[in-house]
Amino acid sequence: MSVERPIFIPVILGTTRKGRASENVARFVYGELLKLAGVETALVDVRAISLPTDDAGEAIKDSDFSASVSRADGLVIVTPEYNHGYPGMLKHLLDTNLKEYVHKAVGVCGVSAGGFGGTRVIENLLPVLRELGLVTIFWDGNFSGAQKLFDHEGKLLDESYVKRIEKFLKELVWMSKVLRYGREHVSLD
Amino acid sequence: MNTREKMICPDCGVEMNHHADKIDYSEALEEAGEADPAFGGVVEEAHTCPSCGRTHTRPADYYPKS
Repeated sequence: MSVERPIFIPVILGTTRKGRASENVARFVYGELLKLAGVETALVDVRAISLPTDDAGEAIKDSDFSASVSRADGLVIVTPEYNHGYPGMLKHLLDTNLKEYVHKAVGVCGVSAGGFGGTRVIENLLPVLRELGLVTIFWDGNFSGAQKLFDHEGKLLDESYVKRIEKFLKELVWMSKVLRYGREHVSLD
Repeated sequence: MNTREKMICPDCGVEMNHHADKIDYSEALEEAGEADPAFGGVVEEAHTCPSCGRTHTRPADYYPKS
């Protein structure tokens, strides 16, 4: 197995809205990834990527985002739940790439103001991720009551999330390593 | 069984591993007549380099065009 290169798992913060609680979640998950040996990460903010809205797909690729996804072995997507759905800008960004995703791992953290931790947006996002060629893990990150989970400086107030995200990231790293080996060594032919 | 020549990594010069075939529907929309009639889109082979990990694609030739 290729152990020389660290596993690269960027965190995609999937909303551009003001006052987004998902930003705290994304920074928290990013921080937990930074603690893992043999793993590199980056925080990708949808707000920081300027995409035209009068076209779609590969025609409007952002070169930095494509390079990041191309290098990635796995992805964390942090998405709020807006009326049970995912933000349009997140979908718009994800749709700009295709081959970059094939046989790479992805885990989703759902963020909601209510008590269901974004479970409905995660369920809605899964078929999209599958069609993009990504391989989903079965652990999710579910962040309920997101506006009250962090203090005004973005510090996590409920330590139980540390343990939950540890499980989530362990499976994501495992899947990322396995799929890297598969991409590089297990032939379809 | 895919009998085509192995893809060679343009960066490392080593044989790449063919690990996926993926239908690209958008490409079929952009290039009329390019879609494989059996799949409704352009089938792309995904190959990854075991040395650098980069993935490159090429069209799959399941049904050569007449």
